[in-house]
Amino acid sequence: MRTLGLIAAFCLGGLLFFISFDFPSWGDALSPASRHVSPYYIEHSLEDTSVPNIVTAVLADYRGFDTLFETAVIFSAGLACFFLVRVSERQVPAARFYRHLATGITFRIEKGGRLPEGTGEFERIDSLWVPYDVIIGMTCRLVVPFIQLFALYVIAHGHHSPGGGFQGGVIFGAAIILFAISTNLRRTLKRMSERSSALLSSLGVLIYAGTGLLCLFMGAGFLNYRALAAILGVDQVAARSDGILIVESGVGIAVAAVMVWIYYNLSSAGKQDEGL
Amino acid sequence: MTVSAVIFIVLGLFFFTGGSIGILRFPDFYSRLHPAGKLDSMGLLMTMAGMALYTLRDFSLPAIITALKIMLIVVLVFITSPTATHAILDAGVRAGLGPWTAPEKKVKE
Repeated sequence: MRTLGLIAAFCLGGLLFFISFDFPSWGDALSPASRHVSPYYIEHSLEDTSVPNIVTAVLADYRGFDTLFETAVIFSAGLACFFLVRVSERQVPAARFYRHLATGITFRIEKGGRLPEGTGEFERIDSLWVPYDVIIGMTCRLVVPFIQLFALYVIAHGHHSPGGGFQGGVIFGAAIILFAISTNLRRTLKRMSERSSALLSSLGVLIYAGTGLLCLFMGAGFLNYRALAAILGVDQVAARSDGILIVESGVGIAVAAVMVWIYYNLSSAGKQDEGL
Repeated sequence: MTVSAVIFIVLGLFFFTGGSIGILRFPDFYSRLHPAGKLDSMGLLMTMAGMALYTLRDFSLPAIITALKIMLIVVLVFITSPTATHAILDAGVRAGLGPWTAPEKKVKE
């Protein structure tokens, strides 16, 4: 059976290798790809959409369907991770660990016992990894807001420079994950619960698809942002630019929330009690 | 301006090379972190300063803004890189990895 698989893999690989000789050479100006669509995008994207960054114009406007389904794929990745890993029933951990804040003494409470947490005297800590580190905590606290600001900049500046919804969303999600790593999972869950991350990730896809549907209701094709000109009160070219921004922010919300959601599930093995 | 930029970048590449050689040649985890943390920060400062000087060839407001952005990268890395090194080292200590000691030389009889 293994040899059979090996033979099949070699045949397929050899076939792909053989076919690759028929491809046009890299950067060939006469290849079909650079003769038909590319020149149109390069020559007309600025006057069509008033977006200087051609990549963004192609990604969110000309090929908007593609990007919509990419966002849906990312959303379904988060959903799949949730369904595969998440443990629904509440398990009582064998022992909980608490730190007395004034003295730094660690308590080990067995059989599901709890110490009062809200009073500011005790702090629950993880059993495996107990960082009591001022340096890392302070640095992350210092850096995280700037990373989030930069993420918003990347999303909003995708029209003019490399960037856009996916990249900015990833940076935003990474900032939240950095906060989770530097403190702990429970404190992060208090800031951004699992429910809100799930809702936000579906909201991002909804913004994208809803923009497309709105164009449909306004009498143009799906994701044809020209139709939004009447609502936004601008001319059609500016409406395409604004439509790209709306869609990109939807992508950013979805990507950031899905990253955080996947992190919650993977880092705590689905229990979302103790984690990295 | 261009000459000093080239000098800075070459110095930075020298530091980067030293860091890579150090990571490869040092005997254990902790001593490898030393070139990884220090020489990379210094090399980054040098190369980024060189690039900032290179953008300042034609002295104008956009060039100054670009140079400031490049130096902002250095500020960010100077805050985060030592913290990352500290965190990795801390993880090593917590995991119970002992420091390296020189093996005792066998005396030939």
